[in-house]
Amino acid sequence: MATSFKFKPLTISILLLFLCNAIASSASGSSSTTMHTNNWAILVCTSRFWFNYRHMANTLSLYRTVKRLGIPDERIILMLADDMACNARNKYPAQVFNNENHRLNLYGDNVEVDYRGYEVTVENFLRILTGRHETAVPRSKRLLSDEGSHILLYMTGHGGDEFLKFQDSEELQSHDLADAVKQMKEKRRFKELLIMVDTCQAATLFSQLQSPGVLAIGSSKKGENSYSHHLDSDVGVSVVDRFTFFTLAFFERLNMYDNASLSSLFTSYNPNTLMSTAYYRTDLYQRRLEEVPVTNFFGSVMETIHTDSPYRAFSNRYYRKSKTEMPSDQSGGGNQRALEDSDVLEELADPKLNAIQVGCPLTHTWNTILGRMEKITQIDNFVNCGVVLMFPIVALSSWFSH
Amino acid sequence: MNEHQGAGARQVLSHSSVYSSVFRIPAIPPATSLPPFPRQEPYSLIFDHRLVQTETQLQCAREWRESGSLTPTMAEVAAFVKPKPRPIIRIGLFLISQSLLVSIICCVAGVLALLLLPVLAKNTYISENALMPGSASPMLSSADASDGHIFLNKIMSMDSTSTNTGTEIPEMIGKHIIESGGEVNYHQIQPISDNFHPLQFFLGPDVGIVQENYSCTSYGINTVGIVRAPRGDGKEAIVILTPYNSVKTTTSEALSLGVAYSVFSLLSRVSWLAKDIIWLAADSRHGEHAAVAAWLRDYYALSRGDLEKNQDMCVASSVLGHELTSVQRNGVSNGFRRAGTMAAALVIKVADSSTGFEKDGLKIYAEASNGQMPNLDLINIVNYLAVHGQGLQVRVEKIWSLLDSWWLYSLGELQELLGKVAKSLNPDWKFGIPASDYVEGCATLASSLYNQALGVPTGPHGAFRDFQVDSITLEFSPRFSSSQRVLFLLHVGRLVEGVIRSVNNLLEKFHQSFFLYLMTSPSRFVSVGVYMIAFALLIAPLPLVAAALFSDKLKSGKDDVSLEPSHPGESFPTFTAWNWLHTAKTVLIVHLWGAIVTIIPYFLSQFPNSSPLTNLSMWIASSLVGLFFTCAASGSLSISRASQLQIREWTLLKAVTVTAAFIGLCLMSVINYATAQIGALLLVPMCLMAVPLRIDMADKTMKALLRGACNILLVFAGFPPTAFLMMRGALDSFERVRIDDFWNWTESLRAWNSATYIYICMVHLPCWVLCIRILLLRR
Repeated sequence: MATSFKFKPLTISILLLFLCNAIASSASGSSSTTMHTNNWAILVCTSRFWFNYRHMANTLSLYRTVKRLGIPDERIILMLADDMACNARNKYPAQVFNNENHRLNLYGDNVEVDYRGYEVTVENFLRILTGRHETAVPRSKRLLSDEGSHILLYMTGHGGDEFLKFQDSEELQSHDLADAVKQMKEKRRFKELLIMVDTCQAATLFSQLQSPGVLAIGSSKKGENSYSHHLDSDVGVSVVDRFTFFTLAFFERLNMYDNASLSSLFTSYNPNTLMSTAYYRTDLYQRRLEEVPVTNFFGSVMETIHTDSPYRAFSNRYYRKSKTEMPSDQSGGGNQRALEDSDVLEELADPKLNAIQVGCPLTHTWNTILGRMEKITQIDNFVNCGVVLMFPIVALSSWFSH
Repeated sequence: MNEHQGAGARQVLSHSSVYSSVFRIPAIPPATSLPPFPRQEPYSLIFDHRLVQTETQLQCAREWRESGSLTPTMAEVAAFVKPKPRPIIRIGLFLISQSLLVSIICCVAGVLALLLLPVLAKNTYISENALMPGSASPMLSSADASDGHIFLNKIMSMDSTSTNTGTEIPEMIGKHIIESGGEVNYHQIQPISDNFHPLQFFLGPDVGIVQENYSCTSYGINTVGIVRAPRGDGKEAIVILTPYNSVKTTTSEALSLGVAYSVFSLLSRVSWLAKDIIWLAADSRHGEHAAVAAWLRDYYALSRGDLEKNQDMCVASSVLGHELTSVQRNGVSNGFRRAGTMAAALVIKVADSSTGFEKDGLKIYAEASNGQMPNLDLINIVNYLAVHGQGLQVRVEKIWSLLDSWWLYSLGELQELLGKVAKSLNPDWKFGIPASDYVEGCATLASSLYNQALGVPTGPHGAFRDFQVDSITLEFSPRFSSSQRVLFLLHVGRLVEGVIRSVNNLLEKFHQSFFLYLMTSPSRFVSVGVYMIAFALLIAPLPLVAAALFSDKLKSGKDDVSLEPSHPGESFPTFTAWNWLHTAKTVLIVHLWGAIVTIIPYFLSQFPNSSPLTNLSMWIASSLVGLFFTCAASGSLSISRASQLQIREWTLLKAVTVTAAFIGLCLMSVINYATAQIGALLLVPMCLMAVPLRIDMADKTMKALLRGACNILLVFAGFPPTAFLMMRGALDSFERVRIDDFWNWTESLRAWNSATYIYICMVHLPCWVLCIRILLLRR
C-alpha cells in the first residue's frame, strides 16, 4: 500500500508532464512549420453586366485550370455574377468562351458556382476569408482551410487605386483585404496565400498586406490600366484580359505533374504584350520563388506517404524519400527540379510534427504524445519498468487484503 | 449624469459664443441702455445702410422725421455699429459703380466667347461603356441586301402599276413581316387638327385624341412590325422608323423601306436580341411627324379597348378584309401591339438628290422640339460606325452662306495666328484650329443654334423626344447609279444593324453622355458648361445696370421730393423709393399685353382663306389696339397721367425694364438655351442703350447724337419681324425675302408648340415696346 502511494504521484506527474508537452508542441506548431497539406482556391469575378463578359471568362478559365490541375470542386469557392451565359445578348446561349476560336466552352456541365449574382458582395467575400459565416451557410460555401492550406485567391473586375469594385455597387479596399488576411493568419486558416489580381492598378490592392506567408501578384502597377486581350467580333465583346490570357497560356502547357516554379510563371509576363507591368510582392513570403512549384497553389499535388498503421503516424523510421521523377520542364524556365525541393520534405525531416492532418484533436494529441514517447526513450523504459512493477504490487496488495 | 448634462450645456453655450465671434455679430446692448441718438444720426430702413451714402441717409432721416414715424429700431443700432461690409458686397458695390465699363466689357466678352465656341469644342467620345459600338462584326449579308432590293422593286412596281388607294403597300409590308417571322399590326391615323398647346413643353405631350369624322380614304395607315427578343424580357424596344407616302412613293422612300426590311428580316433571325425591335413604316401622307406622333400617342396612352376601337374603323375592312384574312390568324391582329419602352429610335431616310461627294453621305438630324437633343452617345455611335465601319461621309447641318463670309474667315485666321503664337511661347498651349475648320465649325454651330432656337423638330425623330425617347434621323444620300443599289443597301443596313446591336447592349436608358450641347461638326461638340459662359457674360450687365440705375435714381429722387412735394391727392406713400412700383406696374401691364398678343393669331387662324400678309397686318393692328386699350384700362400709360411719368423717371423705367428682360432671358435659358442666347444678342444691347431721345437731342454733343442713332437702329433691328427678315436676308438673299414669311414662320412656331414663340411675344416684344417708350419719353 505504501509503495502504491509512493508511486501514484509519480505516475500522475509523469502523465501531466506528457500532457504539457503535447499542448506546448501543438501551440508551437505555427503555419510556418506546418506541413502543406491541402489546397484551396477562391475565384472571384467582381463585375456584372454584359460588357464585362471578359471578367467572367477570366474567372471561369482559371476555375477550369485549377480544377484540371487537381483542386477538387469542394475546395474551390467560385464567386460569379453569372449573368453572361444566359444573357439575352449572348449569341451562344449557355456558353462562355475565352477565345475567339470558340474551341473551349468554359461553361460546361460541371461548373459549381458557390456565390452567384447578387451574392457576390464585399461582405460575403470577407466572410469567406475570415470564416465568420452565419450558421445556416452550408459547408460547400465555406472556406474550410486550416494551417496547412495553400490558398489561391484570384480576383478580377474593375479596380482603382487601393480598391476593387464589386458589381458597381460597393468597393473592397486594400485595408479590408489586409485586415481579412490578418484575421485569417491569426485564425490559422492558411499556410501560404497567393493573391492574384487582374484589374486596373492591381498592385495597389495588396499594398497594405502585412501577414507573413502571403505572396501577391497583380496585373498592373499603380497608375496603369489592365487591358483586354482580344475582341470576339462574333459575340461582340472582349473575351479575356491580357494578364489572365498569358497566365492561362502558361498553364495550358502544364499538367499536374509538371514542376514549373512560380518564378517562371512570374517572369513569363512580358510588359510589352501585357501593356502593363505585372507586379509581384514577395517581402512577406519566406520561400524562394524558384523553389516553389506553381502546383503548390494552382494545383493540389499532395505527396502520398505510406504508413503502416492508420492511427499511428509515420516516423523517421518509416519514411522513405519518395522522389518523383519529373518530365522535362516545358515552361521555359528550364530548370529541372524534383519535388524534394519543396517544403514537404524539409518539414518531414522534423519528426515531431510529421502528423498527417487528422480531423480529431484528440488523436492529434495522442499522435504527438506517441512522438514524444518515441523520442524520450529513457522514460519509455522507465514506464515499462513501472508497468512490470505493477504486477507484483497488485499481487502483493491483493494478498494483503486477503 | 446631471453633471454631464450640465457640462454639455456649458459646452454648447461656449460654442454659440464662438459662432457669434466668428460671424462678427455685433453685440447688441439692451434697448434701455441705448445712448440717446442725436436726431441727425444717419440711418436707413429700406436699404442696406452700407449701400447708401451718408448724404442719402441724411435725406432719409429728414424725410422720416417729416412723416413722423421715428422709432429707434434695430436698423438704427446696426447703422450705429456700422461693421465693415463683407468683401462680396464690396465687390458688388464696385461693379455697380462701374456698371458702364463692366457692361461694355461683359457684352464684348460674351460675343467673343460665342465666336470662340468652335475653338473650345471638344472631340466627342463614347461615354457609356455598355454600348461597345463596332465590337461585333456585322451579320447583314449581301443576300439580305438583295432581299431588300427585291422588296424595294416590288414597292416600286406596285407604285407605278396599280391605282393606288394607299393600302397596297402596307399590305405588302405586313405580308413580308409575317414571312420573316415578326408580328404585324396596322395603326390608322387621321390628320390632327391644329391646336395650340403653348405649355406642352411643361406638361408633356397631349394624349387626348381628337375624334372627328373623316372619310376612310383620308386615313393614313402605319404598318408596325415587331420582332420579339427570343430570350429578352420584353421590357424594352428599339424602333426603326421609315416614313413613306403610301399614295405616292418615291424611289428614295422605297430605298429606305428596303433598308429597313433587310435589317428587320435579319434581326428576326439573330439570337442576340435583348430588346424587341419595332419597325414602324409610317404613312406620311398627313405629314411624317403627325403619323409618328399619332402612333406614339396611342402606344403610350391607349390601354383599354384597343381592339374594339380598331375594329370599328375602316382599316379592318379595307386592308385586312380580303387577302390577309388567311394570314390574319397567325400574326396580324387588329389590336394595338406593343413592345417594351423604347430605348432609342432611328429614323431612316434617303435623300432624293445624290451627293456631290465621292462617298455615300449621311446627314444626322437631331434637334427635337424646343431645342431638346438626344443623348450625345447616340450621335456618337452613329458617327463612329458610319465613319469607321462603313466609310460614309457624315455631316450635320450647317448654314452654307456663312462658309464664304470673309469676316468669319479672317476671324478664323486671327485665332489660328494666336494659337501659333501661344504654341511658340509654350508648346503645351494647344488651342487654335485651322481657319477653314473654324469657319466650318461656326457654320455648323450657327445652324445648330438656330435649329435649337427655333424649337421646331428637324424631322420625325422630334415626336420621340416628346416621350423622352432618344432618337435621330439618318438621312443617307447615295452617290450611286441604280446598279449599285444592293451595295448601298448593304452599307446602310450594316450601319443600322451596328447601331441597333450597340443600343441592344445598353442596360439602362441613355444617361452617360450630354443632353445639352451644340454640335460644331459630327465629331465635335460644345457642352453646356462651355456655352453657358457666353450667355452668362452677355446677361451679366443687366442686373448691374438695373442696380446702378436704381441707386442713381434713389440719389436724385431725394432731391425731387424735397423740391416738389407729391400731389396731395395721391394715396400711395410719398417715399420715392417706392416709386419703382409704379414703373413695375407699367412693365407688368406691357407684359400682360404680350400675353394677349400671343393668343391673337389663334383667333386670326379661325378665319380661313386669308393671306399671310393680311394676317400679319391684322395681327399688328390688333396688337396696337390691344396695347392702347390695355394701357388705357390700367391707366398707367394714358395721356392724362403722362405728366406723372416724366422724363426724369426714365432711369427707373429702364431699371425695371432691364430687370424684366433679365428675368425673361434667365427663364428662357432654362427652357431653351439657344433661344435665350440669340434673344440676348438682340435684347441686351437694346435694353442697355435705351436713353430718351430728348436727352440726346438736348445734349447736342456728337456722342449723344451717336447714341441716339444707335438707339434708333437697335430698336429698328429689335422689332421681331424686321429682325427675322434681316436675318433671313443676311443668310439667304434679300431678293427672296418677303414680308409674309414672318407670318408663316410664326405660324410654324405656333403649330410646333415652340417656346420660342412665347418668348418672342411675352419677353422680347414687351421689352421692345418698353424701350420705345423710354426713347419717346417727353419732358
